[in-house]
Amino acid sequence: MPDNVTRRAFLRLLGFGSVALALSACQQAAPPAAPPGATPATKTIAATEPLTLPIVSQPLTLTYWAPMSTNVAASMKSFGEMGCYVELEKRTAIHLDFQHPPLQQEQDQFNLMVASGKYPDVVEFDWLHSYAGGPSKAIKDGVIVRLNDAIDSYAPNFKKLLADHPEWRKQIVTDEGDLYAFPFLRSDPILLTFVGPVIRGDWLSKLGLKTPTTLDDWHSMLKAFKDQNANGQGTTLPFSPWLSSIPGGWNAWYAAGAFLRHAFVGAWGIAMGFYQVNNTVMYGALQPEFKDFTQTMRTWFAEGLIDPDFPSTDQSSFDAKVTSGRLGSLVALGGNGIGKYLGLVKDPAFKLVGAPYPVLRAGDKSLLGQRDDNYPGNGSVAITSANKHLAETVKELDYGYSDAGHMLFNFGVEGTSYNLEAGYPRYTPELMRNPQGLPPAQAMSRYIRGNFNGPFVQDPRYLEQYFELQVQKDALKTWLEPVDDRQMPPVTPTQEESKKFASIMNDVLAKYQETFTKVVTSAEPLDALTGLPAQLRQIGIDDAIKIQQSALDRYNKRG
Amino acid sequence: MATSQVHGLPLTRATAPRTSSRLTLRHRLAKDLRRNRYVYVMLSPVVAYYLIFHYGPMYGAIIAFKDFSPAQGILGSPWVGIQNFQDFFSSVYLVRLLRNTLAINVLDIIFGFPAPVILALLLNELTSPRFKRVVQTITYLPHFMSLVVVVGILIDFLARDGLVNNLLVAAGVPATAFMQEAGWYWTLYVGSGIWQAVGWGSIIFLASIAAVDPTLYEAAVMDGASRFRQMWHITLPGIMPMVVTLLILRIGMMMSIGYEKTLLMYNPSTFETADVISSYVYRKGVLGMDYSFTAAVGLFNSVINFAFLIAANRLARRFSQTSLW
Repeated sequence: MPDNVTRRAFLRLLGFGSVALALSACQQAAPPAAPPGATPATKTIAATEPLTLPIVSQPLTLTYWAPMSTNVAASMKSFGEMGCYVELEKRTAIHLDFQHPPLQQEQDQFNLMVASGKYPDVVEFDWLHSYAGGPSKAIKDGVIVRLNDAIDSYAPNFKKLLADHPEWRKQIVTDEGDLYAFPFLRSDPILLTFVGPVIRGDWLSKLGLKTPTTLDDWHSMLKAFKDQNANGQGTTLPFSPWLSSIPGGWNAWYAAGAFLRHAFVGAWGIAMGFYQVNNTVMYGALQPEFKDFTQTMRTWFAEGLIDPDFPSTDQSSFDAKVTSGRLGSLVALGGNGIGKYLGLVKDPAFKLVGAPYPVLRAGDKSLLGQRDDNYPGNGSVAITSANKHLAETVKELDYGYSDAGHMLFNFGVEGTSYNLEAGYPRYTPELMRNPQGLPPAQAMSRYIRGNFNGPFVQDPRYLEQYFELQVQKDALKTWLEPVDDRQMPPVTPTQEESKKFASIMNDVLAKYQETFTKVVTSAEPLDALTGLPAQLRQIGIDDAIKIQQSALDRYNKRG
Repeated sequence: MATSQVHGLPLTRATAPRTSSRLTLRHRLAKDLRRNRYVYVMLSPVVAYYLIFHYGPMYGAIIAFKDFSPAQGILGSPWVGIQNFQDFFSSVYLVRLLRNTLAINVLDIIFGFPAPVILALLLNELTSPRFKRVVQTITYLPHFMSLVVVVGILIDFLARDGLVNNLLVAAGVPATAFMQEAGWYWTLYVGSGIWQAVGWGSIIFLASIAAVDPTLYEAAVMDGASRFRQMWHITLPGIMPMVVTLLILRIGMMMSIGYEKTLLMYNPSTFETADVISSYVYRKGVLGMDYSFTAAVGLFNSVINFAFLIAANRLARRFSQTSLW
């Protein structure tokens, strides 16, 4: 389930913070050293057709199921109204008829659509995580079609991308080597890291403190916030581990979402959930270090350094704690965290700074921070078995990975949503300082998909402009520091495995989150942790680890 | 309820024929159909509705015994026997899920069920129609509020720095994080439920109070009965059939708790008392697309509910004149 959770979190996070370095600019500049045929395509398939525009001579309409983005929904009813899609239709002559499920009901509606057996031509969703049994099962069930041959024949741009980036290809294919969707990809590290510790910078300077690096630094800083009455009203909350993470029913499971992003717990080199060390899968709660971590948080809580209400906080009351100047430190997003709060608080003294992921000893490098995979899973477009225009559809989707398509999805139409300034695509004031008063995230979404997701490679130049404040850019730099070689890659358990895994993890998470929260808040004695590994084993955590291990082994063998 | 309408006046007339017993059943049926043809025509949409929307889908319940996959369809999915039931009964949380589900329902029947009856009786005693209307409107309003809003209000009011705790602290009582105390959960769940539903629930009782014969009150006044005596001996017995009917139906939902409110209200510190069957099934079955598991638990719940319903009806028949059948 942690994989699943991460994926769900993306849906939300992507809208704001994340981005990707589209290497495509560099790729295009490089000479086409390896011809497309150089890939081990020994099958006798006709050479890839070049993409010519328009794709069709007769008007063609494709039905396109896609989850709505909140930023688009702010001013539009359908993706079809967006600048990039209006232009796309002009260029390819294919009309996309968008069908959007109601916001927040995406998974339910997706499940209903799958169960109904009536599919649109293409479906954009998180095909990596959201189809029970995984993408291979979706192909086997006859919901979507295997795309390897079609991509070979009709998708020159996407094919070249895969050949140039074998490490992306590994994330995109199934264990069997099947390609099932046109993915959303983020290439630059700055697009993969977007969450990290944030501190009230003005409090630091008021109390004469330096940005903390070790856990001891953090402890003395939080104590100083508390003891020296940092907010001047005696209501200081030094730290809250609450982090908005998952929409819907899963929210309650993670009262301390910050730790899921490896803040603090990463200092011990462990994660809250699954992680791997040299390709051996581990589970955080079973490690001896987990007790040290929990004990530290328990001490902090007992000393009044952690918001006592963190298990029952929601987004609005959390926001209020930040904007009313009570909260001293938190774990937040660069865009929809630092950017949002700095915009909301009018007091010029209010300052936020990003802090590095804490470590145990000075000079250590944090072993785990937040870093996503290039392929997050969401925004990937699969072609259903109901599609009668496979070649045209593949060509239409391939366009997003071409040079022109890359610019179209990331920046829109030149002269309208961006202008080239010495080769740098700069968003127009219409997007960044919207005359109707829309915030940039919403104004951008009227023209482009570059600020959320979709079937293309995200361009880091989007983030460079979206993060307008220097403090956001600096925060990102410090969050990029952790080594991050212990995270699980996007593995796909088999159908039988994933059902068993989901069933075990559902029970594991209940026990684990309950015990952790109760021990931290002193509702249960520290001894409760000693029995936790045995309880988790009884529920079947070892089987779950085995499933992750075999999925990881298969992942590593992917070609 | 609907069945009692179906068995209303026209049918009673039709099933009490004065035909002689010499005629065969077929003859009697044909004659009855002919004589009451318009009644049957009027009945047919209701029967069709129940057949199509309530009995038809029942065959889908067989997925409780299958490993359902949408692609293979209901009939095509493989049988797995009682595997799904075993999964549920072998859950490490089974005892706590059953305990919470039953406890919340019992508390709701003890405190939540009488609340609208009492409110209706009190409203009935009000003499100013204006004031009565104001009270009714205020008590109805929460019914129209989304659960998300109601729980949002709860969280805000009950937070450590919320309204309730501010009042408590002002009165010298130390602040409590109510939403994080497993011991408070049932109280908050049932209490907020009463607040939300009491006004709406009182409508039906007000309606049956209005149907009580006014001459009874006049007679009672002649005999010198006080307001309380009138309520106790006339109003309450007058609405008792309605109360008993609704109570039987309520007891028939002993195993049901909506998962929405639970999902909104619980957090890891209150799982102990908050996790109920429906929220567990939601996480395990719906989010995991394990529909067979969901169906199995649903079937199990329905069987238990049905048993409760029959038992409650038995008891009602024994101890009062009112029962569903």
